[in-house]
Amino acid sequence: MKWFPSFGFQRRKRELQEEVDAHLQMAIADRVARGETAETARQAAAREFGNIPLVQDVTRDMWGQAWLEQLGRDVRYALRQLRKSPGFSITATAMLAVAICANSTVFSWIDGTMLRPIPGARDTGDLVSLQRGERNFSPTPPFSYLDYRDLREQNHTFAGILAYHHDWITLTGGAQPERAYIANVSANYFDVLGIKPVLGRFFLAEEETRPDAVPNVVLGYSLWKTRYAEDPAIVGKSIEIARHPVTVIGVAPEGVVGAMPGIREDLWVTLDPLGTDVWRMTHRDADWLNVIGRLRPGVSLGTAAQDLDTLMHHIVAAYPDQHLGDNRITLDPMWRSPFGANGYMAATLPILLAFAAVVLLLTCANVATLTLVRFVSRRRELAIRQSLGANRIQLMRQMVLEGVVLSIVAGAVALVLTSWTSKTFAWFFPANSNPLILNGSMDHKVVIGIAVSSLLVGMLCGALPAWRSSHAPAVEVLKAESASISGGSRNRKLLSGLVVAQIALSLPLLLCSGLFLRTLRNLAGANPGFEQDHILTASVGLNIAGYSHDEEQVIRHKILDRVSALPGVKVASLTDWIPMTLGQKKEDAYPEGYAPRPHESLKVLHAEVSPRYFESLHIPILEGREFTPDDDEKAPRVLIVDQTAARRYWPGQDPLGKELRVWGSLFTVVGVVRNSTHTFVNESPEPMVYMSFFQAGYETMVQVKTEGNPVDLAPAVQNAIHEVDTRLPVFDVRSMRENTQIASSFAVIQSTLAGMFALIGLVLAITGIYGVVAYRTQLRTHEIGVRMALGASRVDVLRLVLLQGLWLTGIGLALGLAFALGLTRIIVRLLYGIGANDPITVVSVVMLLGAMSLAACYLPAHRAMRRNPVTAIREL
Amino acid sequence: MNEEDQYKNRIELLQGTLDMLILQTLQWGPQHGYGIVQALRLRSGDVLQVETGSLYPALHRLERQSWVQSEWKQSESKQRARYYRITAKGKKQLVSDLGRWERIVEAIGLVMYVKPEESES
Repeated sequence: MKWFPSFGFQRRKRELQEEVDAHLQMAIADRVARGETAETARQAAAREFGNIPLVQDVTRDMWGQAWLEQLGRDVRYALRQLRKSPGFSITATAMLAVAICANSTVFSWIDGTMLRPIPGARDTGDLVSLQRGERNFSPTPPFSYLDYRDLREQNHTFAGILAYHHDWITLTGGAQPERAYIANVSANYFDVLGIKPVLGRFFLAEEETRPDAVPNVVLGYSLWKTRYAEDPAIVGKSIEIARHPVTVIGVAPEGVVGAMPGIREDLWVTLDPLGTDVWRMTHRDADWLNVIGRLRPGVSLGTAAQDLDTLMHHIVAAYPDQHLGDNRITLDPMWRSPFGANGYMAATLPILLAFAAVVLLLTCANVATLTLVRFVSRRRELAIRQSLGANRIQLMRQMVLEGVVLSIVAGAVALVLTSWTSKTFAWFFPANSNPLILNGSMDHKVVIGIAVSSLLVGMLCGALPAWRSSHAPAVEVLKAESASISGGSRNRKLLSGLVVAQIALSLPLLLCSGLFLRTLRNLAGANPGFEQDHILTASVGLNIAGYSHDEEQVIRHKILDRVSALPGVKVASLTDWIPMTLGQKKEDAYPEGYAPRPHESLKVLHAEVSPRYFESLHIPILEGREFTPDDDEKAPRVLIVDQTAARRYWPGQDPLGKELRVWGSLFTVVGVVRNSTHTFVNESPEPMVYMSFFQAGYETMVQVKTEGNPVDLAPAVQNAIHEVDTRLPVFDVRSMRENTQIASSFAVIQSTLAGMFALIGLVLAITGIYGVVAYRTQLRTHEIGVRMALGASRVDVLRLVLLQGLWLTGIGLALGLAFALGLTRIIVRLLYGIGANDPITVVSVVMLLGAMSLAACYLPAHRAMRRNPVTAIREL
Repeated sequence: MNEEDQYKNRIELLQGTLDMLILQTLQWGPQHGYGIVQALRLRSGDVLQVETGSLYPALHRLERQSWVQSEWKQSESKQRARYYRITAKGKKQLVSDLGRWERIVEAIGLVMYVKPEESES
């Protein structure tokens, strides 16, 4: 094919015209020579030649590029037709654009999270996350360093296995101390991810465990840019982290944010850079590492899991005392890795995408209805073109093309909309203490997705009506142009089918959104078992700012004293964990005298809390006592357990005085508190143990029970802490209500989107049934006039029209209900406090849809009823 | 059935045969479309009346298959017209078309002129 086929094409068209002209001229000349008059000769020659444009058309078909010319002609024709009815064109385009945008938005979120789990990493499809023990949402780091190293060095199925652990730290040394998220990583971390430095180098194998006098650090690109002004000579320079000097050895490329999906790491150091963490480097029961492996080419997930399981089995056999719980290893591809955000994403977003697809189908049905009605009203034009020589394929192609033109425009609009909506994902996550970087992304995958869906939509909206309309027998249409044929019974069936489909598709959307909304209400209304009002929390960056342990203890006491003395503060306490903030601390705990079942996890959740913690959160002490100021480092270690732990480990016994081994030390139970929510309202309860803050506290969070609005006290609390030491970083100062919002953010996402989709579905279904009933009633105006003239009452007319609509609604509702009850099964896991087939929701959704359809049918019925039969009969 | 379909059917009916006739006509020298129609009519004793709706598509198809070439020339009556000339490839095609045609005629003849007693045996 030539580069400019149309150019040569125009020339050849001209030549063909000339050729035909020459033929005619010669024929005329011959006839004139035989004695005919010029006029008769011309007429006879033309008659003999036949249909000139048609001959040219058929001849052009032989050139092999006719399709291009026809396409151009058909596109121009389609545009002209669409311009003729701007109402239809704009409505259809807008509806399709919204429906496509719904899909592309959800897809852009999936693309930005599940499909791009580790930005900057090479071939993330080969990366898998390793989990040991039971599978759940937000697991804690599952591996000890020594176990990790055995797995890394003895496996046969991985090209490399990396490990990391991350936390907040304070960058000191500059004008302003700054909080940053730092990761301790294995030396092969960047190697396994397949990332090369933009400056300097990454870690060497021998540096992995070696403590250095001046440790090495790798900076993230954005930190290098913001705090160190993109200093090109930063490598080799010394900076300060938590008041320790460290040497910058490299800078990671732009966009690289670490190995945990959805979490931003700012800088990286080796596993034990200062040599202060000997305990967790040398103990197999110190689980603190998250582990990701890169599969060797061609190795399946199952084979790799088996390989690691065998290795783990040997490790457990060699060190049984450090591996008492569940040690089975499971592997997950990064898109659904439970570590980080993707576990939640994988549970929610694909379902929302399925909803969006239903919305798209529904919209297609609606636009197809409109298109069909349009084609029926254009049937005279189509019939004329058919009798002038257009064949069925040509007519169909043209009609389909109108749909495709619409959908391409809709796709372009959706593209523009999505470039904005893809970034709205971050709105759903309230301020929280994690460095979340969740958002949608708008890349080539999303653009391709939009292009494919808009073309499919165009075919669906155009092809179905076109197929039907091109069937119309031309002679019939031209002969009997009257209301009596009303588009033919075939079209009527298709129209009814489309209306039924719209109702049937909108019902499951409505039902699911109803269930989600009630779930959200149940979650909000549920009692988490602790007080959320009048509580203010503030984090103090004490452990990450470089103080010695003794200094820390003194400062903590001072803070507690100062804050307690503030006016408006009822109770002040310290803790190192805030419930329902996605954070969890878990540790292996071995209850004395308890024989675990095989594979039973011995992990317990734990939190370190100071005296009066339970009092301020209104968590009742059921037995024993609360912590007192005497439970300090000099006193024997003590524990308070919740009901779940007490029942699990000492069923039917008095838990007070029982002992539990954690971190190698024995803790004595001194109290039992009532269960409360730890992470999610709909979680299954896990055993929880509270330890005394002054015996085992790690992070420092101030928790204040206030008299009035807790947020009003925020500045005073911050000041009080700074009075102790102005260099103390204070952050995440929030009310408890604000803190716990993050726990329901996925419920908010699913109900918001499902609600929006259901609303779109409802509007489409209602306008769909209204449009069809109104259209049909209009076509039957004449017939209704005759009926009324023959004595039908207005009620008869009303019934006639209403029944028609009710039939469609009834069938649609029945089909939709079957579809919906099937569909709700896949959302069962996302519901709380309500069954998937909750009768109240089902009945109210069916009633709502039924009532709205009835109202939509009533309007045209009412209009028909009020018609004057005389004018109605005249109208054809 | 509309007009275009009729033309198409006729092309199919005469496919091969029409090509062969056109190529044979061009054996006698380059000719334009009108001339080909006239030549076929004269040679066939007014029996073969080729429709333009078959002729021109056929000519353009033959040109695309490189069996004929075309050029614009003045006719004897000073009319500028497009003349078609048979190519070497076209001549080869004509030979094979003719061979096939003869076999078909022979085969049809065998069927049509069967002696009655032979068919009864």
